[in-house]
Amino acid sequence: MKTVDYFQWIIKAVAAQKRRTLLTIFGFSTGIAAVILLNSVGESLRQYILQEFTQFGTHIIAITPGKTETLGISGILNTVRPLTLEDAQSLARLPAAKQVVPVVMGTAQVKWGKRGRYTDVAGVTAPALEAWKLEIAKGKFLPYDNIQKPRTFAVLGSLVKQELFGNARAIGNKIHIGGQSFRVTGVLKSKGEFMGVDLDDMVYIPAAKGLQLFNRESLMEIDIFYSPEITTATFQKQVKSLLIQRHNMQDFTLITQDDMLKTLDKILRFVKYAAAGLGAISLLVGTVGIVTILTITVTERTHEVGLLRAIGFAPHQIRSLFLGEAVLLAINSGIIGYLIAMSLLFVAKLLLPGIPVGFNLWVLLLALAVSILIGIIAGWRPASQAAKLEPVIALRAE
Amino acid sequence: MTLRDLWRFSWHALIRHRLRSFMLLLAVTIGVSSVLLLTSIGEGARRFIHQEFASLGSRMMIVLPGRKETTGGSPPIYGTSPRDLTLEDAQALRTIPTITAVAPIIAGTATVSNQSLSREVIILGTNADMFKVRDMHLEKGKMLPQNSQDKATPVCILGAKLAAELFSKNNPIGQRVRIGEYRYRVIGLLQQRGESLGIDLRDMAIIPVRSAEMLFNSPALFRILLQLKQIGSEAYTTRRILQIIAQRHEGEDDITVISQDSVLGAFNKILLAVTASIGGIAAISLFVAGILIMNVSYISVSQRRQEIGLLKSLGASAREIHKIFLVESLLLVTLGSMLGIIFSYALVAIVRYSLTSVPIAIPWWSTLSATLTALIVGLVFSWLPSAKAAAVDPILALKE
Repeated sequence: MKTVDYFQWIIKAVAAQKRRTLLTIFGFSTGIAAVILLNSVGESLRQYILQEFTQFGTHIIAITPGKTETLGISGILNTVRPLTLEDAQSLARLPAAKQVVPVVMGTAQVKWGKRGRYTDVAGVTAPALEAWKLEIAKGKFLPYDNIQKPRTFAVLGSLVKQELFGNARAIGNKIHIGGQSFRVTGVLKSKGEFMGVDLDDMVYIPAAKGLQLFNRESLMEIDIFYSPEITTATFQKQVKSLLIQRHNMQDFTLITQDDMLKTLDKILRFVKYAAAGLGAISLLVGTVGIVTILTITVTERTHEVGLLRAIGFAPHQIRSLFLGEAVLLAINSGIIGYLIAMSLLFVAKLLLPGIPVGFNLWVLLLALAVSILIGIIAGWRPASQAAKLEPVIALRAE
Repeated sequence: MTLRDLWRFSWHALIRHRLRSFMLLLAVTIGVSSVLLLTSIGEGARRFIHQEFASLGSRMMIVLPGRKETTGGSPPIYGTSPRDLTLEDAQALRTIPTITAVAPIIAGTATVSNQSLSREVIILGTNADMFKVRDMHLEKGKMLPQNSQDKATPVCILGAKLAAELFSKNNPIGQRVRIGEYRYRVIGLLQQRGESLGIDLRDMAIIPVRSAEMLFNSPALFRILLQLKQIGSEAYTTRRILQIIAQRHEGEDDITVISQDSVLGAFNKILLAVTASIGGIAAISLFVAGILIMNVSYISVSQRRQEIGLLKSLGASAREIHKIFLVESLLLVTLGSMLGIIFSYALVAIVRYSLTSVPIAIPWWSTLSATLTALIVGLVFSWLPSAKAAAVDPILALKE
C-alpha cells in the first residue's frame, strides 16, 4: 500500500462518519483546551505576581532585626538588638548601594482641623521616592535632610489627601499625626495595592520621626537597592560583614529579592502544573471516548477487515490503518482544542487588558505531540483487535 | 410500558453492549470521582484550619493596637501606634463581665543563653491566663506567677526544642538562663504541641509580662488575647472594649478587635471559593463524558433502527421511544455516579484511616452537585439522539 493511498484511506474512513468524528473530536478537544487554558491561566497568574514583586527591581536586599525568621514578622516584634538609623547610614556608604531606605511602619490617626483618619504611617527617608517607584502628584517628597534630625514634613497618599482635604489644597498645611504636628510637602499619585496593603491609604514621614512617634528603638526593616553590576552574593557578603562589624554578631536577617523570587517562583510553578493537571482529567475522559468510538468502529467494520485480509493485507497493515484513524482524530482534536483555548484567552485579554496572556507556539506543538501520543495509546487496543481478526470469520460477519 | 419494564429493557440493552457500556461507565465514574476527590482535598484544608483554630481555644478574641479606617482590609498587623496599648489597658478590660481571661502579650526576639550555648528565639511576655486562652499546657514545672502583670519576677518557661538545645539532656528546671541583659530562672517546660498558627511553640521562651516590659524596655503590648465566658457575646464585648479603651485613651478607640469567628469566616470563604472552583474545573470532565454519551447514543440509535421500527409497529409511540433511550442514558449515568461515589468515599475513608492527621472529607454539596451535574449532562446529551430514535420511520426501518 502506497503512503498516499494509506492517507487517503484513513481520511476517507474518518470523514465517512461525520457526526461520530465531529463528536469525538469535540470531546477530546475540550480536554486539550482545558489543559491549555488552565496552564495559561496559571502562567498568567505567575507572571502577574512576579511582575508585582519585581516592580521595584530585582536587586534588593531587605534586612530585618533579629535572627529568627518567623513568617517575616520578625521586624514587627520587639528586639533587644535594634537595627538603627546609623546602620542605615553606614550601609548607604557601601559603594554598590544605590538607595537605602530605613522603614518603620505603624498606624496612627492623622488629623487636619476637625477631620481625622486612622491610617498606615510609614517612616522612611528621601530615597524611598525613587526606590519604591512612588510618583508625586503635587509638591515634593521628603527632602534629603539630616537622617537623625529631619524636619517634620509629611507626604500624603492620594486616598488620605482626598479624605482629609477633599478638593482643598493640602500642601503647606499642618496636620497632626498621633499628636505631633507635621507640614504637608507633597501628595502622591495613586499607586494601588501591594500585597494587600493599600499604598494610597498611607502617610510618609521621616524615619527618625516615625521611631519617635511609635516610641521604638529599632527600625522594622532596611531596604537596600543595589547596583546590578555587583552579584547578589558579593553584595550580600559586604552587607553582612559591615553589619557584623557594627553589631559584633549576626543579630539580623538578610532576605534577598533573588531568594524570595526563587521560592515564589517555585510555588507558582507548582500551582500552574497543578492547574494543568486538573485539566488533564478531562483529557483522560476524552481518551476513554476515543477508545470507545474506535472499538465500536472496529466491530462495525469487521467485514471490511476480512475483505482486506483476503486480498492480502498483513495484520500489521490493518493495525496501522486503524491506528492512523486514531491519530488523525487526535491531531484534529489537538488543533481544535488549541484554537478553542486561544480564542477564549483572546476574549479574556480583551476583557482584562491588564493581565499578561501568553500566546506560545510551543504550547501548540506540545498539544499536538500529546495528542498524537494519546491517539496511539487510545487506538492501540482496538487496532490490535482488528489486526487479530481471522479473515474467514471476519468475512462472514455482517 | 410500565416503569419496571422500561428499566429492564434499558438494562438488557446495556448488558448487550458490554464493552461500550463499560467505557461510558468509566467516563462518568472518572468525572464524578475527580470532582469528589478534588473537593475533598479543599474541604480537608478547611477542616484542618478549623481544627487549628479550635486548638487555639475557642471563644478567643484578639485586641491589636492601632486602627485603620477602611474596614475589611488587612488588620493593622504592625502593632505599632503612637499611643501604646499598655498593661493597664489590659487590666481595665477585666471589668467586662463577659470576659473570663485576659492575656496581655509583649513579644520580641532575643538571645537566650546557657553558658556558651545560645539561641535566638521569640520571647513572649505574658501571664498565666495565656495558657488558658490558648489551651497550652506545661510538660513539667510551675506556671508563671499569678502576679505576672504586677511584678517583674525573673523566671521563664522554655519550649521543648529550646530547652533541648540549651540543656541537651539535663533537667533545665531550677537552672538559670540569660535572656538579653537579664538572668531568669527556668521554672517550667512547655508541652510539645508543635506549631500553632505559624509560631513554633517548641522554640520560644515565656516570661512574666512585666519582665518583658523591662527586657524590651517598652510598655507597648503586641496583642491582648481574651477569652469569652460563652460564644455569642462577641458583639457586646467588642463594644465594651472599644468604650473602655476610648475612656483610657482620651476619647480615641485606636485599637482593632478581632474575634475568632471573623477570622475563621474569612478563611472559610476563601477556601470554599477555591474548593468550588477546583470542583468546577473537574466537572469539565463530566462535560466531556456527556459528549461521549451523545456520540455513543447516536451510534446505538442507528444500529437499533430495526428494533425501533419493530417497537413502533407494535404500537409504541414516539414519546415512548424517546423515553426508552433517555432512560437508558440515565441508567448508565446513575450507575456511573454511584460507582464514582462509592470509589471516592472508599478512597477518602482509606486516606483518613491511614493518615489520621489529615481531616480529608467529601463535602455533601459536592456529592450532590456532582451527581446532579452528571444526571443533567446525561439527560441533555442524550436528548438529541433519543429524539432521532423517536423520529425513526417504522416502515423504512423494518425494510432495511
